[in-house]
Amino acid sequence: MKALTRRALASVALVGWFCCASPVLAAPSGAAKHDPLEPMNRKIFWFNNQVDDYVLVPVATVWDKIMPKRVEKCLSNFFGNLRFPIVAGNGLLQGKFKQAGSDVGRFAVNTTVGLAGFFDPASGWGLEEHNEDFGQTLGYWGVGTGPYLVLPFLGPSNPRDTVGLAADSFSTVYPFFVEFEYLVAARGTDLINTRATLLQEVRQFKAASFDYYVAVRNAYIQRRKALIADRSGVSAQESEDLYTIQDDNGESEP
Amino acid sequence: MQRNHRTRTKAVIAALLLAPVLALSGPTTARAAEGPRDVVQQTTDAVLAVLANKSLTADQKRTKIQDIVYDRFDFRTLSRLVLARNWRRLSHEQQNEFVQEFKQNLSTTYGRNVETYNNERAEITGDRKEPGGDWTVKTKIIRPNAADILVDYRLRQEDGVWKVIDVIIEGVSLVANYRSQFQEIVSNEGPAKLIQMLREKNAKGEPMKS
Repeated sequence: MKALTRRALASVALVGWFCCASPVLAAPSGAAKHDPLEPMNRKIFWFNNQVDDYVLVPVATVWDKIMPKRVEKCLSNFFGNLRFPIVAGNGLLQGKFKQAGSDVGRFAVNTTVGLAGFFDPASGWGLEEHNEDFGQTLGYWGVGTGPYLVLPFLGPSNPRDTVGLAADSFSTVYPFFVEFEYLVAARGTDLINTRATLLQEVRQFKAASFDYYVAVRNAYIQRRKALIADRSGVSAQESEDLYTIQDDNGESEP
Repeated sequence: MQRNHRTRTKAVIAALLLAPVLALSGPTTARAAEGPRDVVQQTTDAVLAVLANKSLTADQKRTKIQDIVYDRFDFRTLSRLVLARNWRRLSHEQQNEFVQEFKQNLSTTYGRNVETYNNERAEITGDRKEPGGDWTVKTKIIRPNAADILVDYRLRQEDGVWKVIDVIIEGVSLVANYRSQFQEIVSNEGPAKLIQMLREKNAKGEPMKS
């Protein structure tokens, strides 16, 4: 739940938090090296998707009908602002001092001028939002991911990012200030609201995929790599494999 | 007040008269010299103009956008990249059929977005040359009540014309994502099965309810 980032197109990665499987398609053998735990992962993926379909989506759909988009945006600003210690802290741990400085400024501006974080004037002032977490910090320092892993309720991950998730869960703002019941209510609100903002994206991603499990796995892996490298596109070494046309004789042409 | 109003009317009439002329001169004269950045700029501008046009029905918008996008994307290259090594396992006819069905599939899937357009804007944030000669144009989709989305377009030049060969959304490449799914289908069940799946998906591709 902690890694509920606000970036909507983290939705692509996030799709995974609310995942689904096509249980009809038997686990293919070809992907064994990327995903040695595939049979187990597919089962958990299927389970998560049941939870999503029968609990989260119905609640989020009602939420989305009641809440104006503007309110949803304010709430996601608010919860995003509370992630400040994770974002700034992990920026620091990766030696991104300028970025962490900007995050401090962003938190200060949005907490005050932005009325407790419900509004985001900072983005307009050049203090843009960053996406950092401890899984990325570990990746930044060269820690390998380990095998792809689908966590119950939490969705796509790997051993490295699971450690990251656990570490980050100790470092949001609110555990220090509020009672347990409020914390649960806050987490619940964050989850439902985030899911509500992603209804359309997830539905589309599902409809577009031929094997939803594989589509989510691939999106998660690509997205995490891009986040660690702080880039929006494809890395140079993958680029060569991805964009080289194989001609009919098996020779590659540029 | 009166004068002001009249000047405005004149300007609007002038613009209306000029528009068809500009529209005609656009594709023919500017085309040859267009860089990858221009291609992305013009394509996003044209698509957004259609989306924002309240006088068009959803179907009319879809058709118009399809025309714009079909002209700017190289679906054959995109298909070959998606299938990678498996491309050679398809017969010549299967290859053509795959390109056609895949193109149709992308169009049906993403054409659904027409209904949910909500004053999004697009902004080009940068571009760079890639080692192989391709070009990447980086854009940001700005949504009024939601987070921005980073979208990169990869373009390749064919016969002097730059065309889009991949779309990368928040670091997730469309080509890579479809490749991962198709690879398993083709290696486990063969290319005919993949084409059949595409055809079935397209047949029931009615616009999604939201």
